[in-house]
Amino acid sequence: MTATSVEERRSGLALLRSYWPAWLDVFGWVGRISETRYWAWLMLLPGFLLISVVIFYPVISGVWLSLHEYNLLRPARGQPFVGLQQFIDLLEDERFWLSLRNTAYFGVFNVLNPFTLGLVIALALKRAVRGAGLVRTLILMPWFMPSVVAGHMWALLLDSRLGVINDILVKLGLLESYWPWFARTETAMPAILLVGLWRGFPFFALLLLAGLQSISQEMYEAAAVDGANALSRFRHITIPLLLPVIVVAITLRTIAVVNSPDLMIILTGGGPGLATHVLSFYAFQTAYAAFDFGYAAALSVVMLGILIFFTLIYLRVAGVNRD
Amino acid sequence: MQLSFRGTQRLYRFLTAAVLVFAGIFALFPLVWTGLTSLKQNTDVITAEMQYLPHNPTLENYFELWSRKSFVTLFGNSVVITFMTVSLCLLVGTLAAYAFSRYRFTGRNAALVGFLLIRMFPMVLMLIPLFIIMRNLQLLNTRVGLALAYTTFLLPIATWMLKGFFDAIPPDLEDAARIDGATRAGAIVRVVLPLAAPGVAATAVLTAIAAWNEFLFALMFTTNEASQTWPVGLHLLVGEEFNLPWGLLSAGGMISIAPIIVFFVLAQKSLVRGLMQGAVKG
Repeated sequence: MTATSVEERRSGLALLRSYWPAWLDVFGWVGRISETRYWAWLMLLPGFLLISVVIFYPVISGVWLSLHEYNLLRPARGQPFVGLQQFIDLLEDERFWLSLRNTAYFGVFNVLNPFTLGLVIALALKRAVRGAGLVRTLILMPWFMPSVVAGHMWALLLDSRLGVINDILVKLGLLESYWPWFARTETAMPAILLVGLWRGFPFFALLLLAGLQSISQEMYEAAAVDGANALSRFRHITIPLLLPVIVVAITLRTIAVVNSPDLMIILTGGGPGLATHVLSFYAFQTAYAAFDFGYAAALSVVMLGILIFFTLIYLRVAGVNRD
Repeated sequence: MQLSFRGTQRLYRFLTAAVLVFAGIFALFPLVWTGLTSLKQNTDVITAEMQYLPHNPTLENYFELWSRKSFVTLFGNSVVITFMTVSLCLLVGTLAAYAFSRYRFTGRNAALVGFLLIRMFPMVLMLIPLFIIMRNLQLLNTRVGLALAYTTFLLPIATWMLKGFFDAIPPDLEDAARIDGATRAGAIVRVVLPLAAPGVAATAVLTAIAAWNEFLFALMFTTNEASQTWPVGLHLLVGEEFNLPWGLLSAGGMISIAPIIVFFVLAQKSLVRGLMQGAVKG
């Protein structure tokens, strides 16, 4: 008898098991099945079933829905097939074009700003000064905040009557009087980008730090021996070796940012006017408030197209990285 | 002018410190301010002269929040849904991740990439069909429905993360257990899972935080207070009143981030490792 079974005999579980009828011996069954060649497939089965039900089926039926008219508020009309009609409607929809432009603006800056700050912080964190570990942990907090709470925090900080940032700027003489950041066309998007920067930079800092730490120190030492200064080491070692991580991080973040209407729902409702009206918000609003599921699906399919484009870049680079 | 070597070093050290201090302040200032606001009476929030530190610190916002009937419901819903989501993701994710980590089968790479690609599907695109499915299955306004919806985006991430942790455990250990007579399933339970425990815990924490924070699905799939989650309740609190109850909102914010901070501190090390791993490999 083996050591495991001696140990088992002593445990309460084994005692309990000895009173079970043999056909109820689930552990034994699972154990025996796990020795067969079907085991790998059985382990994968629940995952694939779940993903088929909650992801693939919805996505496919979403694309299917985009070819149909379907408005919950007009149940009498049913779901007639309209082909590409809703996509043709999109082309003439001014709000769509404006949302597309806003999405581009929001997408680019809500990724580049946090990336830049995250890179600077990752470089600082890598120098492993005292307290760097603490800072590394603390700066992750904004990333893990609920978007609702983050939104409220910044709404209060930037409030037009009670905002402490307004107060500080006025006291410093940078601002004449309190400014309603989210309520003015010219500052609504920049204010949202500030919140986006706050929420996004920890992601980049952590990923880029991981990338930096995987670059061998010997490279830098060799370059230093060859007389390369800090700037050229950064340009010729850090950036090229970090590039795969950079592209992966930027792609993942772009997907997340383009996908999520949270900040607009919480902070501006797409306004003032249409100043922060992005595609994801438009699609959500069309489904949630107008109940026009068909048109919302068409909008989402366009977003899917844009995101597939980014994912292709991602896969290319991630694939290159693996070789 | 050329700086001396020591001068350059000192400059770098200064810059590093400056960047880290700035990062810490930028990251934490909104949290600190929310914490301070939650301790102020409403009359001290709405003042002509800004009060930086609360003059009359009070916990009344917290008590008032607690006494609202809806609060307990919302909080309870969030706890239950988070628990269900984590259990589902860990159970199904562990099985799949182990298979991906230990077996080489046809279509393995395609499946792995597929798991990753799921991130790219617009949530809004899934929102509509999921809404229709749930309405047909009577799952709208239920906790199970929301937990299933959260699994859409969390299961792939959990699986990838767990696979990374399983990859790090040498198969020799399992083989040794199996030579001693354990079945493969037995070896997983007795050898692999205990060794991967920090990783499993980190995955659980990440999944829990994401489920706890989720807003979009919860807003779409619930219509009454009895089934809403905490973030949705907080959001709608703003909609109801014209003069925003900032003290109350801040207290609500602090309460909702308290569990996150606790979990985060507990699983900090493996969480950061898991995130970095997933990031570099994924």
